[in-house]
Amino acid sequence: MTCDELRPDYTAYALGILEDPEQTEITEHLSRKCGNCVPGVASALATVSAMSGAVKLAEPPKDLRRRIVAMVSREAEESSRRSPKRSWVFFAPWGLAAALAIALISVALPGRHVNPDTAKLEQALSILNDPATKDVSFGEAQQPAKGRVYSHSKLGVVFMAASLPKIESGKTFELWVIPAKGNPIPAGTFASESDNTAVYIRPGPLEQGAAAFAVTVEPAGGSAQPTTKPFIVAGLT
Amino acid sequence: MPFATMSNNVHHQQTTATPQRYARQRPVRMTLPGILLALELSGQHDEELARRLQRREPEAMAALYDRFGRLAYSVIVAIVRDASLAEDLVQETFIRVWNRVHAFEAGRGALGPWLLAIARNRAIDHLRSLSARMDRNAYELDVREHPSLFVDMERDMVNSDHGRLIQKALAKLNANQQKVIELAYYEGMSQTEMAERMGEPLGTVKTWVRTALKILREELGPGVTA
Repeated sequence: MTCDELRPDYTAYALGILEDPEQTEITEHLSRKCGNCVPGVASALATVSAMSGAVKLAEPPKDLRRRIVAMVSREAEESSRRSPKRSWVFFAPWGLAAALAIALISVALPGRHVNPDTAKLEQALSILNDPATKDVSFGEAQQPAKGRVYSHSKLGVVFMAASLPKIESGKTFELWVIPAKGNPIPAGTFASESDNTAVYIRPGPLEQGAAAFAVTVEPAGGSAQPTTKPFIVAGLT
Repeated sequence: MPFATMSNNVHHQQTTATPQRYARQRPVRMTLPGILLALELSGQHDEELARRLQRREPEAMAALYDRFGRLAYSVIVAIVRDASLAEDLVQETFIRVWNRVHAFEAGRGALGPWLLAIARNRAIDHLRSLSARMDRNAYELDVREHPSLFVDMERDMVNSDHGRLIQKALAKLNANQQKVIELAYYEGMSQTEMAERMGEPLGTVKTWVRTALKILREELGPGVTA
């Protein structure tokens, strides 16, 4: 669909109430940084934000502020105490992440717990150090797994995570590329280390129209389509 | 019918449908707001605050909460109508900002609108999970709260002046238009779901939605929709 056709639906999209095909079309335009739709949706989001002005104010509990500040204070303290190996996932600039990833990859490549594949390390470096690489973080208060996904349209994907859940034997983690339109595309399986971290590299061009990454728990060997609800979702836009 | 008052009707219908969920809710006042939160932000404040958050200063989170905590809580509690759940979702909102602020353009971004979008999305996401409307992928809402979409936006738009402006704009909608805006904003209902709820043809509902949103955008003017 053209931008002109989509324009009347920007605000409905910003509200999250639009349906397909318009919904998917706008997401696709955003994912390719469409010069018309990005500012159009941004403007619509401003309208939606302004609508909060019609909400009657309620008084939050007094200790909510303290709890929020305590949570980030604790995280900031832990982050400064942690070794660089632990802190890269959340706070380090991607350049540092690249250097540290090299050390991690040597023990965390899926199916290669020793003797890292030099070619893959080079691929990881090329992805992490390329200026065109996009990175998205995931992991919130109620989503224990945290980390980042680095993706390059031609070079591939580097997925880094900590605090992954324990999974039973016979199961594996599976990374998915979620296109703006169509079904999830399998992007490989990986296992976590004993400390529940993982670094996974999926070399090769990123699927066209990729809008997000997701991770599910699947039977060993992986699935053609997700059989469980994703516990990690990281949007690319 | 005023926007906020109409939301009472929406909430009443839901309470009837799932009484167990609302047993421990406190009543939420949904009459017209008098004076909205004093969020007279300056661009400099926003930029400096964003930079402090990016430097991982916990005190910056306290300042962020002081500016937006009450409004974020108000938006969330108006949607989920459960005080204790709203606390969790406010907490999640602020942690999400903390975790994603590295992608925020401090010089151009509008912190308030971004945070409020995250707050509303958390609440709507929760409603959808309750009503098995999770067939829409979770990342959909994620896309709408990427910091890159909140740049070059009027930063102090979430203030009392704009509150009055939105009230005035909402008053120009007819009853059906107000109703669909209520269902959209407070429940995140798709137009198909609205049509089912209201017992009206989908095409009619779509027309009400488009017309209502067009009126709102025109009334709010370029100051908001920059």
